[in-house]
Amino acid sequence: MFETIDATLETLREQNYIAERGLATAIFLALRLRKPIFFEGEAGVGKTEIAKVLASALNTRLIRMQCYEGLDSSAALYEWNYPQQLLYLRMLEASGASREEMRANLFTREFLQARPLLQALELSANGTPPVLLIDELDRADEEFEAFLLEILSDFQVTIPELGTVKAEHPPIVIITSNRTREIHDALKRRCIYFWIDYPSFQKELSIVRAKAPHVEPSLARLITAFVQELRQLDLFKAPGIAETIDWASALIALDQKTLSPEIVEETIGVILKYQDDIETINRATFQAILDRARINAELQA
Amino acid sequence: MSEPRGAYLGDENTPYYGGKLLENLLLFGRLCRGLGMQVTANVMPDVAHALSLIEIGRRQDAYHAMRALMVSRQRDLPLFDEAFNLFWQPEANNPVSMDVRSLVEPRRKKRKQFLLPMGSTPDDETEANLPPLDENLIALIPTYSALERLRYKDFAEMTGGELEAVKRLMERLPWSLGERRSRRFVAGEGAQFDLRRAFRRNMRYGGEFLFLPTRQIKIKPRPLVMICDISGSMERYTRVLMQFAHTLANSMYQVESFVFATHLTRVTRLIRRRSVDAALREVGVTVRDWGGGTKIGETLKEFNYRWARRVLGRGAVTLLITDGWDRGDPDVLSEEAERLQLSSYRVIWLNPLLASAGYEPLTRGAAVLLPYVDDFLPIANLANLEMLARLLWQVKWQRPERKRASAGI
Repeated sequence: MFETIDATLETLREQNYIAERGLATAIFLALRLRKPIFFEGEAGVGKTEIAKVLASALNTRLIRMQCYEGLDSSAALYEWNYPQQLLYLRMLEASGASREEMRANLFTREFLQARPLLQALELSANGTPPVLLIDELDRADEEFEAFLLEILSDFQVTIPELGTVKAEHPPIVIITSNRTREIHDALKRRCIYFWIDYPSFQKELSIVRAKAPHVEPSLARLITAFVQELRQLDLFKAPGIAETIDWASALIALDQKTLSPEIVEETIGVILKYQDDIETINRATFQAILDRARINAELQA
Repeated sequence: MSEPRGAYLGDENTPYYGGKLLENLLLFGRLCRGLGMQVTANVMPDVAHALSLIEIGRRQDAYHAMRALMVSRQRDLPLFDEAFNLFWQPEANNPVSMDVRSLVEPRRKKRKQFLLPMGSTPDDETEANLPPLDENLIALIPTYSALERLRYKDFAEMTGGELEAVKRLMERLPWSLGERRSRRFVAGEGAQFDLRRAFRRNMRYGGEFLFLPTRQIKIKPRPLVMICDISGSMERYTRVLMQFAHTLANSMYQVESFVFATHLTRVTRLIRRRSVDAALREVGVTVRDWGGGTKIGETLKEFNYRWARRVLGRGAVTLLITDGWDRGDPDVLSEEAERLQLSSYRVIWLNPLLASAGYEPLTRGAAVLLPYVDDFLPIANLANLEMLARLLWQVKWQRPERKRASAGI
């Protein structure tokens, strides 16, 4: 399935994920070398999607950890279930249990709540390594990065009361970042790095065709060409592939067979998310972009 | 030693300086105590003794000597630093407000007893005969004032040797940015119970909850972003300002530096890894427009579009260093300056021209830029830099109040 780069490309395509060769190579290498993959790229270029696709292709579980500022080990690794422990403690007291009994009974696996990282390690320890998606790592703080570094180098965790969980076959780790800050070199060094760029016309067209199969080929070409033109403009936030797909679906929902400046204006909120950007292109510009997009779409056809 | 020595001045071995130093020192000790630091009265003679052993004109030495003796807990360090900078200020023309409450209020809510104006009665009556506070009291150490001339000399007029001296002085300034509350917690006296620690610790008492450990919010320094104009009109200041960037990058937690003339170049790594001279050479190579004109608006646009999302997170403070000579489109400038202000916690504009008497920001660029900055400061001599260091120190929790500049025009 992932034996060669070509096989990887083919597998991804079967999963409806259109990848370029560079990306397939990165995935192939990561699986071979058992290293985490670090994806960076603008929002909406399909970073998170890769994890889902891999999990589905490998027929394994996907464990997702969404990062946020303040994420710490009790939310990422494990936490004891304190309310239950407290109740149980009172029961033990009532039954006159000794101190040792209490300690032995209170800190058992039963009261441990596994968070994403521990879940992934436990599954791996059981012989079914999952795909572990650490999403938007740039949102977490530096402290968490350091913690992650430790986990990613050993793939083991020691819980003082219970012992060590060690993954013989480490999970497939996918880290994504939107580059709202720089991730430390130490972490990047342990990963295979891949920058996902905006796709070429042909690639984006295949993606739209794959993800929104009901769009007529000519409209799909036009949409793609239009978005590609938009990315050439000086925008604060250029539309990602996710926006292109959304737009295609939106146009189907509106029963549109082709693009006109009016339709573009009405639906522009699907692809551009900043008021400044919308203001920079008025209806006259729409017409101009549309004309260029038409020519390109025909050339490509 | 003709003057009589007071009972509180220690034993025979305690050196006597004459002048106001000893009194200042004791006042300083009381200030620290007032701030809630653990400074026992009996260390003060040691401090006085220690000061006689070092070259007292070197501010950093005096600082470390006092700190080593007077601070015994790590968490008192920031308090001490603030007290030190507030108290041992070299210039007499900058009267010090003893209203220290404004300094520490956010950090220590529980402690309310501060050092009140010196005339008021302290808890101990023998100390009541201390002379009242006057301005000269604060003006410290004669050797230090030898630097006064250098401090007020314009960077552009300095010789190489003087610049060297400035470089060393700059490194000694206590650079620190304001702090922000992070979303993380650490053990400490906060409002949140730390259940994990509570369970672990109380198991040894048979599950009886005798200790209730708490957690408090972790305080972190703010990141700093420097955007420095190196175009023709700023050429005279470039070298010093690059040195300034280098100093900041090496003494603070997280500094991102950019330079621009007509194009924006990120020099963060360059500055951090090399000497300023090497960095300047390299920038001179990569930035080809040293002598060209400035398009501040376009530069800010480039910054906003390409870098702002990456470097302006987590409550960053932006330092914009330029003289405001803009040759670009004023509309672009105002738009991008506003965007910059909206995405920074605070925008500080440092302008070397502001130091010259009679300067008013009347050039087109300056007039457009001014409404969108939170602080407007001169940066032409060392005294300006010291002022900046103090201002950065005080950037605290609250965002400066801002008026929507665009609405007014």
